[in-house]
Amino acid sequence: MQDLGETTTVQWDSALEAIERCYELGWTDGLPVVPPTVDLVNQFINAAKRASSEVVGQIPERRRDITVGKVAANAAMAGCLPEYMPVLLAAVEAMLDPVFNLVGPSSSMGGSAILSIVNGPVAKEIGLNSRNNLFGPGNRANATIGRAVRLVLMNACAAVPGLYDRSVIGHPGKYTYCIAEADTETHWTPLHVERGYSLDQSTVTVFAGESPRQIRAVGKPEAILYAIADVSSTLGTNMSTSGSVGDTDVGIRQGQIVVTIAGNSDLWKDWTKEQVRGYLHANIRRSVADLKNAQVLAGDVEPEDAEKFLPLVPEPEDILLVFAGGEESNMSSVIPSWGPKVACTAVTKQVR
Amino acid sequence: MHDGIHVENAGIPSATICTDRFVPTAAGMAKMWGAPDYPTIFTAHPIENLSREQLRARAEELAPQVVQVLIGDV
Repeated sequence: MQDLGETTTVQWDSALEAIERCYELGWTDGLPVVPPTVDLVNQFINAAKRASSEVVGQIPERRRDITVGKVAANAAMAGCLPEYMPVLLAAVEAMLDPVFNLVGPSSSMGGSAILSIVNGPVAKEIGLNSRNNLFGPGNRANATIGRAVRLVLMNACAAVPGLYDRSVIGHPGKYTYCIAEADTETHWTPLHVERGYSLDQSTVTVFAGESPRQIRAVGKPEAILYAIADVSSTLGTNMSTSGSVGDTDVGIRQGQIVVTIAGNSDLWKDWTKEQVRGYLHANIRRSVADLKNAQVLAGDVEPEDAEKFLPLVPEPEDILLVFAGGEESNMSSVIPSWGPKVACTAVTKQVR
Repeated sequence: MHDGIHVENAGIPSATICTDRFVPTAAGMAKMWGAPDYPTIFTAHPIENLSREQLRARAEELAPQVVQVLIGDV
């Protein structure tokens, strides 16, 4: 067997018994896992074309080195196919980048899930879904890559619910949360190209986010954007709350946000992604009066506070705009970030 | 917990206060960093809804324990 570092070896007599043993060993997310036999895990390591002992990244606060072998074992348990390994490894590498500060979103009461957004040719090659039922269910690559990210978090990064993961609410995306952008079906510049990669490269962008909020506004771009801005400006998100971190001059946390827009891209022929971001950045905001009434900001409401607004997103580029979702309609969704940028920033890594 | 243990290891006396809903998390971190007997101070959960005055009262209640931990008298 290839070197996996510290491991637990057990014998199983049947598949059903093995599945139950995996529960007893605390290796599952609550759903049954595929028993990670030595042969199976080796298939994933071989598909990675990297040494099993190679360290993908670390979570230093929990003294954990995450190796290719550990990722392979969790990929097998999640039900991945071996050819998903390069995408999964890019996602893991991205979430272990120091800028992402994984200890925050994987422990915080604020409770986020790690959303993986895949761009480039690899999405089609491994059959990732970017359309109908974008956030699931029904597609193996999306379901199992997202699930493998969670199992890596729980089994390799010690983000164990109730122990080091102290999320108060959690959300369904913590079981699986992986999408692809329909980047060949739109005139819009794909997310990874906006973030410095070329069209023929494949990438994974990770984002620590709340659950997606569906927006049923269709018809004209202006109507859709008005609704997206309204929903994104709500009280009660990380972005509109007060907090002990971030730019204390602003008074609210602010944060990045993912926006997905579905349907037929022709509707947006007169709009670039840059223009969409510009509109949203200017209109995702909340009045000082509202923020004071909600006790996010201290002090009495003054007459002029109704006309004073604070932006909830720091810069236009902090809006990650993704063309994805069913062709049936131009519905959209928004996913506010878990924390302010200083605590967690979206990271993109190339699939190797 | 992480910061308290590291500051202590750097030779600077530290005292770490957690609320009592975080006992297993605190114990786990102490064990993980090789300090299973780290003298964590626990106080009743929650504190996030306390007024400024209530929080001050809580701090005054805990102050003697903080001093004990800082001078190593635990």
